[in-house]
Parts: sequence; C-alpha cells; structure tokens
Amino acid sequence: MVAVVTAFSRVAEPESQCIARALRRRDSEFIGRMVSQYHYRLLRYLVYWTSRRELAEDLVQETWLRVLEHAGQYNGRLRFEPWLFSIARNLAIDHLRKQQTATQRMCREDEAGVDLPAPDFESPFFAAARSEDAKRIAAALGALEPIYREALLLRFQEELSLAEIAQVARAPISTVSSRIHRGLSMLQAALGGGADAD
Amino acid sequence: MPIENHEKARFLLHRALVEGISLEDRRWLDAHVGQCAECGRYADLSARTVRALDWFALELDPAAALRVENVVRSRAEEMRSAEAHAKRLWIGTAVAIFLTFTGSAVTWHTLAWLASQWNLPSRVWQIGFVAFWLLPSLMLALLPLFRRTLLGGHSDSKGQTI
Repeated sequence: MVAVVTAFSRVAEPESQCIARALRRRDSEFIGRMVSQYHYRLLRYLVYWTSRRELAEDLVQETWLRVLEHAGQYNGRLRFEPWLFSIARNLAIDHLRKQQTATQRMCREDEAGVDLPAPDFESPFFAAARSEDAKRIAAALGALEPIYREALLLRFQEELSLAEIAQVARAPISTVSSRIHRGLSMLQAALGGGADAD
Repeated sequence: MPIENHEKARFLLHRALVEGISLEDRRWLDAHVGQCAECGRYADLSARTVRALDWFALELDPAAALRVENVVRSRAEEMRSAEAHAKRLWIGTAVAIFLTFTGSAVTWHTLAWLASQWNLPSRVWQIGFVAFWLLPSLMLALLPLFRRTLLGGHSDSKGQTI
C-alpha cells in the first residue's frame, strides 16, 4: 500500500516535464521522436483492447492527434504513459461502442441474420505468441474481457503501478487489483494450473 | 499442514505479483513454498503465466509507424503555425485597443489645450473630437455604397486606354 501511495504522489520526472513542454510548444521534432518511441507500446495496448491489429493501428494515429489537441491538459507532474494510455483507452472504447451500436442496428434491420465477420479475437495474440505457453495463453487472452487484458498488460508488461493503472482505467485501485487477480487466475487455468477463474 | 496456510500462500503469491508484499510475508511465503510441493507448483505456474505474457511480441510495420509519425509531425506543425497566427492576432488586437484608449486620451487633452489657446467653446472642440474618431470609420462604412460607381469608372478608363 505504501508503494501505491508513493506512486500516486510521484514527483515530476524531468522526462515527463520535457514531454509536457514539447507538447505545449508543438515541437514537431520531439513529438515525432515520441511517436516513434511509444509506437510499439501504444499499438500493443490497443491490440489488447480491441483484439484487432488493423483497428489498433488506426487508433494509434488518432491517439496521437488527440494528444496534440489536449496537450495543454498534460502538465508533466505525473508520468506520460498513464495519460497516453488513458487517451488511447477512451478512443478504443468510443470506437467499440460505435461498432457495437452499428452491429445491433444491422441485426435489427435484417431479422434473417447477417453474416457479420467473425471477431478477430485470436489472431493478434496467436501471431504474437512465441512459445507453447504463450500460445495457450493467447487463446485464453482472446477469450478474456478487454478490461482484464488491459489490467494484465499495464501491470506486467508496462509495469505501471496500481495507482497509475487506476488512473488509466478510471477505476478504484481495489477494482484494478481485483481485475489483475481474476485475469491472472483465468490465464493460470489456461496454462493447466489449479487456479479457477472466479 | 493447515489448509489456511495454502490459502494464505496463494493469496500472498498473487499479491506479490500484483502489488508487492512485506519482507515478513516474503519470508513466510518462501518458507512455505519450500516445504509445500503443491504451493511450489502454484508459484511456478504464476511465474510462468507472467513470463508467457512477456513473450508476446507484435511484428512492427516500419512503414506504418513512419506514416503515423509523419502525419503527427505535420499536424503539430500546422497547429504551431495556427497558434502563432492566433497569438499575433491577439497581440495586434491588444495593441490596437491600447492605442485607441491612449490615443483618445492624448487627442482629448490636445484638443482641449488648443481650444483654450484659441478661445473656442468647448462644444466645438468636442464635436471635432467626435468627428476625428468617427469620420474615418464612417468613410470606410460608406465605401461599399460607392464601390460600384468607383469600379465602373475604373473599368471605363481602362477600356479607353486599351
């Protein structure tokens, strides 16, 4: 808990202040370098959210454009990553919501049923799996709800603190912690462990 | 071994991964996992699960990455020049407002001084002051009314020269 509190009141790091200044000044050279530097991590986060590689690539660009639009809101006191991911998250949620509404509308319009393309749940994870364990986990990840995938990614791959994940997910720390627990349990079950998903 | 110990061990294993545990809990956990084969397997499985997550590596498309970078760069440039333009406009407006007020005050006092030198009634120089400020804008406002006449006259003269 102490670690959580410390992370929440983290003192500004020079890097985050440089980023805030560059964003406010619209320093295209610096911003270009940032886009390149964060490209992989942002793409991976969005793939975890959307389960679709192409959609994630489109959303990466939209995320950066939104970062530019809302540059004034980032003051550099906290780390940049949680702010960046929270923007990406909002975009992904907006997009998925629109898509869901469109799908529901299509289904209502055609009672006989429309051959909607099957969700590309497994391919991005399977494509990225480099071992047998990872392949088994890929299947489990595809079946997990995005909020659990997100919590696992942010904790174990991005190594964000619980407080930072809570900032991204706009959820209480206890909820975030429980999402990570449940996500882990489900993945452990997929790997053949004795842990059952809640 | 009491069942609560296994439950506590699993709870601590998860907690250690998610948010960290105290040194005291770590010592207890290590001792328990060392003695209990089942909890040892569970600890291995937890570690394997987290490691398996690390093994995911997306293939990056450098062309797509570069495309995004270029789009974002050019948008940043556009925003910077638009903001610089807006800033100049604001500064210009502020200077114009400042000059209007200071200019009015200076003109007012100058006209009052001249009127006192030439013994003019105050109404006369005050009308002069109003005219000084209103005439240029009135002329600009009336200009569109005479535009057609002015343009017509211009095209005629142009026609003659050709």
